[in-house]
Amino acid sequence: MTRYFFRRLLLTIPVLFFVSLIVFSLIALIPGDPARIMLGEEASPEALAVLRKQMGLDRPLIVRYAIWMGHVLRGDLGRSVRDGRPVLDTLLLKIPVTAELAVTSLLVAWVIAIPAGVLAAWKRRTVIDYGATTVALAGISIPNFWLGIMLIYLLAVNARLLPPSGYVEPWVDLGRNLKLMVMPSIVLGTGLAALVMRLLRSSMIEVLSSDYIRTARAKGLADQVLLVRHAMKNAMIPVATIMGLQLGGLLGGAVITESIFAVPGVGRLAIESILTRDYPMVQGVVLFAALAVVLANLLVDVTYAFLDPRIRLEEPTG
Amino acid sequence: MKRLLALVVIAVLAFTAISTAAPRRGGTLRVGLNADPPNMDPHQSTAAVDRQVFQNLYDKLVDINENLEIVPMLATSWTITEGGRVYTFKLRPNVVFHDGTPFNAEAVKANFDRMLDRSFGSPRFSEVNLVTKVEVVDPLTVRITLEKPYSPFLAVLSDRAGMMVSPAAAQRLGKGLAREPVGTGPYRFVEKRPQERIVLERFDRHWDRGAGNVQQIVYRPFTDENARLANLRAGELDIIDQVAPAEIPKLKTDPVLRLFARSGLGWQGMWIQVQSGIFSNKALRQALNAAIDRRTLVQVVFGETADPANGPFPPGMFTYSIPANSRIPERNLDLARQKLREGGQPNGFAFTLKVTPGRVPQQVAQVIQSMAGEVGIRVNIEIVEFGALLSQLDAHRFEASLLGWSGRPDPDGNIYGFFVTGGGLNNSAYSNPRVDALLDAARILTTPDQRRRAYTEVMNVLNDDLPYLFLWWPKEYKVLGPKLQGFVHISDGMMRFRNVWLNP
Repeated sequence: MTRYFFRRLLLTIPVLFFVSLIVFSLIALIPGDPARIMLGEEASPEALAVLRKQMGLDRPLIVRYAIWMGHVLRGDLGRSVRDGRPVLDTLLLKIPVTAELAVTSLLVAWVIAIPAGVLAAWKRRTVIDYGATTVALAGISIPNFWLGIMLIYLLAVNARLLPPSGYVEPWVDLGRNLKLMVMPSIVLGTGLAALVMRLLRSSMIEVLSSDYIRTARAKGLADQVLLVRHAMKNAMIPVATIMGLQLGGLLGGAVITESIFAVPGVGRLAIESILTRDYPMVQGVVLFAALAVVLANLLVDVTYAFLDPRIRLEEPTG
Repeated sequence: MKRLLALVVIAVLAFTAISTAAPRRGGTLRVGLNADPPNMDPHQSTAAVDRQVFQNLYDKLVDINENLEIVPMLATSWTITEGGRVYTFKLRPNVVFHDGTPFNAEAVKANFDRMLDRSFGSPRFSEVNLVTKVEVVDPLTVRITLEKPYSPFLAVLSDRAGMMVSPAAAQRLGKGLAREPVGTGPYRFVEKRPQERIVLERFDRHWDRGAGNVQQIVYRPFTDENARLANLRAGELDIIDQVAPAEIPKLKTDPVLRLFARSGLGWQGMWIQVQSGIFSNKALRQALNAAIDRRTLVQVVFGETADPANGPFPPGMFTYSIPANSRIPERNLDLARQKLREGGQPNGFAFTLKVTPGRVPQQVAQVIQSMAGEVGIRVNIEIVEFGALLSQLDAHRFEASLLGWSGRPDPDGNIYGFFVTGGGLNNSAYSNPRVDALLDAARILTTPDQRRRAYTEVMNVLNDDLPYLFLWWPKEYKVLGPKLQGFVHISDGMMRFRNVWLNP
C-alpha cells in the first residue's frame, strides 16, 4: 500500500511539470504585449518600458520560464502586477474561503442526492423515480448564474431571510459566516447533487438486482435494513470516487458562483486576475487549481485502492 | 390644552425637519464598486476604479465642482504668469498627512519629483512632463514652471496627478505605498483585503473640520451588476457605481432607491484608419457617415442612457455649444450615394469593423451594418479580445473599430492626443497640420471664448475629414439607498464623500 502511494505521488510530478509548461506558454502566446494590455489605453511609453523590464519581457521565453520555475520551486510565485502583493500571500488568503465553500457545497449535495438517489432506485419506474430524475436533469441544466440571481432576489431582496452576498470569516462572526454560505452552497451543491443522484440511482439499481440482495430479501430482511446496511455501502463506492473528483470541479463552478455572491475565494481571484490581466496571479491560480485536481485524483486513487485491493494488485510490480 | 398640544406637535415636527436636514455624524457608509481597486497610490494607479477610493483618501491641489469649474482644495489660490508658463500656488496652512508629516511647498515639490522620476515609471509622467521646474518660494508658496503654456494644467491637477502623497511615507515605502497609502484626505486608510473590501476611517486631524461626517467608509467590489443592485435593494449598501441600462426605467419609479443621472464626460463611436486601405479615400468615409442614423442607433441600443453625438465634447463641457459638436447630423442616403460615386465606388464597398466582445458593442455594430447595407456598404463584424484590439489599434492594423474614451473634465483631454499628428492615442493615424496648429493653439489660449473658437475650427475640419465617427455620449449614473444624504453628483462619476451623512 505504501509503495503504491509513493508511486502514485511520484507520477504527479511530471503532470505538474507539464501543467506549468502549458500555463507559462499560454500566457506568452496571448496576442498583444502583456505590459501594454495591463496598463491599458492610457499607458505612457515610460511606464511601459518600466513594466516590461519588471516583468522580464525583454528576455527570451525559455530564460523567463527557467527563472519563473526556479522561483516557484522555492515557493515564490512572484508578485501581483496590480497590487504588488506576493501571489502566494493572496492565494493563501483565498484558499480557505473556497475550501469552506467546497465543503458546505458537498454537504448540500449529499443531503439532497443520497436520499433522492436511493428512493429513486428503490421506487424504480414510479412517479417518485421520474420526479427525482426530472429534478436532477433540471439541476444539471440550470446555469449557476441564473440560479444565483434568483436566490438573491427571492431569499435576500424580497424575503430578507439571508444577506445577499459577501463574506465574513467564521472566527469573526460564525452565525453570519454560515448565513452567507447558504446561497452559494445551494447553487454549487445542487449542480453536484444532480450528478451524484443520477449516479447513485444507477449504481443502486445494479446492486439491488444482485444475488446477495435477493438472498437477503428472501431471508425476510426489513426494507430499511436491506437498503442502508447492505445495498448502500456497495452502491456508494463509485459515487465516492466521483465526489472526490468533483472536488476539483467545484473550483471551476466556484468562478461564477463566487462572483455573483461576492465571495472572495480562489474562483473570484481567477476571474478578476484574468479580467485585469494580472499574469503572475493568473499563473499562480492555474497552478494551484492544477495542484488541487491532481491531489484530489491522488486521494481518490488511494482511497479506491484501499476500498478495493484488486486495484493496487493490478499495478505491475518491480 | 388643545393649543398647547398643537404647539408641541408643531415644535416636534419642526425639530425633526431640522434634524433630517442637518448633517449627522457617525455611521458606516457602504459603497458598491464595479471592480476591485488594485492600487492605492495615485502616482502608480492605472485602473479607473482606483480613483473612486482616492477621492476620500487624498486631497488634490485643486478640485472640480458640479459645473466642471476648477475650485481650490490644497491650493487656496493661484496666479498664472509669463503667458501661461508659470503657475504660483498659495497652499492651505495647517494641513497634515495621515502619518503626521506636515503638508507644505516641500511636499508638493517631492510629489512632482516622484511623478517625474523616470526610473519610478509613473503613469502620471505624460500628464506632467511639461513641468520643467518646481520651486519652493516659501513654506506655503510653490512655483511650477512649464516648458510651454498648457491651459488644461489645472484640470490635470484636479485628478490623480494633483493628489498629494506623504513624502515621508513615499520615501519609506517606495512602491509599497500602493498597499499603505498616506494622503491628507478626510479619511485615512485602515485595511484592504483583495476582492473583498477596503476600509477607510475618519481622519480627525483633517484641515476641514466640517468634512467627514461618516465615521467609516467600506468599499466592496461587485463585478456582477445584478448582484451589485441586489445588495443595494437588500439594504446592504448605501450607494452603487454604474447600473445596467435595462434597470434604469424601473429605478426611476422605485419608491426607496434614488437614481442620480448626469451627462458623462466621455465619447463613443468608430475609429477609422485613414492612412491606408479603403478608408484612405475621404469620400468613402463621408458616405459611411451619411448612412448612419445616430438618433435611431441610440434609441435602439441605449434608450435614454445615452445621447446621440457628433463630437468629443458631451453636454456639460463648456465647448459643447460649438455647433459642429452639438448639432447631430440627419441621416442622408442621397448624400451617401453621391459620396460613393465621388469615391469611385458607386455600388458600395466592404470593410471590416472590429469590436470588443460584449452585448452592447455587437448590437451597435449590427445596427451600423444594417444602416450601411442600405447604400451597398457591406460591414463585416469581427470580434477581437480587448487586449488584442488595443495592440492592433496601436499598430493601425484595422479598417474600422468601435472604441471610445472615458473622458476628462477639460476639453483638451478629450481631443488632443487623439487627433494630433503622432499622438499617443491617435489610432486612426490621422495627420493634418492645420488641426495640429489649432490643437496646440487651444492649449495656450486661456479664456473659454478663445478656446471655443479654436475648437470650432478643429471640429469643422474633423467633421469633414472624419478620422473618427462620434456616435453617442454615455450618461453617468449612481443609485443611492434611503440613508445616504448630501451626495453631490459630478459628471466625472467620482464619488466624493467628504460632506455626505447617513440618516439612521
